[in-house]
Amino acid sequence: MSLRDWPIKRKLTAILVVISGLVLLLTSAAFAGYQYWSLRQTTRDALSVRGRIIAANSTASLAFSNEADARELLSALRADPHIVAAVLYDKVGHVFAAYPADVAGNAVPAAPGPDGYRFERGRLIGFQPVEEAGSQRLGTLYLASDLEAVYDTLRLSVVIGLAVMGVALLAAYLLSMVLQGTISQPILALAETAKAVSTRQDYSVRAPKLGEDELGALTDAFNQMLGRIEDQKDELQRHAADLERRVETRTHELQERNESLRRNAAELLAANTELDAFAYSVSHDLRAPLRSIDGFSQVLLEDYAAQLDEAGRESLHRVRAASQRMGTLIDDLLKLARVTRAEMRTEDVDLSGMARDIASELQRAAPERQVEFAIAAGLKARGDARLLRVALDNLLRNSWKYTAKRPGARVEFASVDANGGQAFAIRDNGAGFDMKYADKLFGVFQRLHSAAEFEGTGVGLATVRRIINRHGGRIWAEGAVDQGATFYFTL
Amino acid sequence: MAFLRVTTAVLLVCAARLGAQTGKASEAQVKAVFLFNFAQFVDWPPAAFPDTETPLVIGILGADPFEGFLDQTVRGEQLRGRAFQVRRYRSVEEIKTCHILFISRPAGDRLDEITASLKNRPILTVGDDDGFAERGGMIRFVTDRSRIRLQINPQAAEAAHLTISSKLLRVAEVITPTGR
Repeated sequence: MSLRDWPIKRKLTAILVVISGLVLLLTSAAFAGYQYWSLRQTTRDALSVRGRIIAANSTASLAFSNEADARELLSALRADPHIVAAVLYDKVGHVFAAYPADVAGNAVPAAPGPDGYRFERGRLIGFQPVEEAGSQRLGTLYLASDLEAVYDTLRLSVVIGLAVMGVALLAAYLLSMVLQGTISQPILALAETAKAVSTRQDYSVRAPKLGEDELGALTDAFNQMLGRIEDQKDELQRHAADLERRVETRTHELQERNESLRRNAAELLAANTELDAFAYSVSHDLRAPLRSIDGFSQVLLEDYAAQLDEAGRESLHRVRAASQRMGTLIDDLLKLARVTRAEMRTEDVDLSGMARDIASELQRAAPERQVEFAIAAGLKARGDARLLRVALDNLLRNSWKYTAKRPGARVEFASVDANGGQAFAIRDNGAGFDMKYADKLFGVFQRLHSAAEFEGTGVGLATVRRIINRHGGRIWAEGAVDQGATFYFTL
Repeated sequence: MAFLRVTTAVLLVCAARLGAQTGKASEAQVKAVFLFNFAQFVDWPPAAFPDTETPLVIGILGADPFEGFLDQTVRGEQLRGRAFQVRRYRSVEEIKTCHILFISRPAGDRLDEITASLKNRPILTVGDDDGFAERGGMIRFVTDRSRIRLQINPQAAEAAHLTISSKLLRVAEVITPTGR
């Protein structure tokens, strides 16, 4: 496990122990260094003092060549086990007396070196001049001390230092184990809370606050955040529940409405069927008496013309015209009823070809009229050919009719783009209509022009709309008075 | 000074060699050095030196047994800024300013006379006669198997207002005059 991944408790403890260990180590090292240096100084000073004392005491021995006295003086050094050798040299540098008495000749310098105390080869040595104040030098004292005292003290202080360090580190470890809790506890509590939140999605838990420090502030902020999240979650839930309830209500309402619509549709369908059946039977039943009226009027005109005056004949002509007109009306109504009742056969239909047929038919019926037909090529659709022919016939016949009083009449059949889908358009430059009556165009028996102006029954466009609707399409018209009209339909 | 010291050292070494051959010469030399060294271990009363220029006088009363070594030893030497001077006296009356006096083997009772006449004067008397210290002399050289030892009579020195260093006393045999 890398240091980075250690638990925070261990990190804190490790940091505290490492820092205190380092501080202790540096302090101990500095102290040991200082102690070593000062011990050397002290030892040197002590040896120098001792040397001065012995030198002062040995002046008379040297001055008066009393070797016994000199040896006795030096033998006092026995009290200090660290003094390994001492020699008194006379004025000319010969060994005068030595300590220990049996010291080997090569263990001490044969002649005195330069005055002073110094460390040499692990020993402290010193050459001390022997002289009475203000007079000539009598000789030299040599002292050699081992540094065991220094090393002993140093060893002792190292041992003590290590022991202190060990105890201090243990104390630091134990203390940090206890004290790291003040930092790690709130963090661990936070982590625990965060984990609970993320695993259980439970925003109602709160991290316990353990103090008023930055961690306390963090805990507060965290808890506030949790509180806000919880509130928002509650609100969201409330909203969701509300929404659900509303959706349910709406769905219910829609269901009810659908139900009523379905009922209405069914009723309508029934009514329509009834109406169609009624219209059919009425139209059918009306034709027989109408034929009688027309037939007998004709008989009267042919067989009894002589017995009738001009007014009588004129009246009979009117009766015939009216009955014929009524016959046309009934035919149209029957056609409309058939459109509604006929069965649909869906196939590919060539609308362009169909339009051209109708145009030439119209032209043939009234060769004296000059109408320009502009029929786009390749217009196709899927639907019932027979019904579509009726629709197209009605629309083109309509345009033909309303351009009758227009010189340079022109009728177009083309495909246009309507709200992103394909629509077919039949445009003429005929009489047009006022847009405020646009919604009346397709009603049965609804006419915008009098029969005297333009003949018609008011059933044609209603028939077209039924056909288009049966194909699932839509039909609408645009126009203006004397500006022509355009009929659009989709399939 | 260093040159002088080296010279002295060389001379002493030569003398030591001479001494090895002729014991008497060595003895004279050692005694001359001792005589010179006494100056370092004895304090004289201030009256002994009228002024700062006054040299420290080492006198020889009677025959000079030092064979010139004394003159060699003190030549150029100084003690606390004071030069040394060697003077030779034939009689006690000649002695005016003197700090260390070597009394060369006088005959019989002459010693008592001399010590009596020098009594209470701040002069360190040195001799090598038998019983010199017991008879009023202050320091006696004792020749013992080619070694020179010292006998000191501190009472006599005290009477002459001389202070002998305890270090000197330590290396010497202290004599207390008896029956006087």
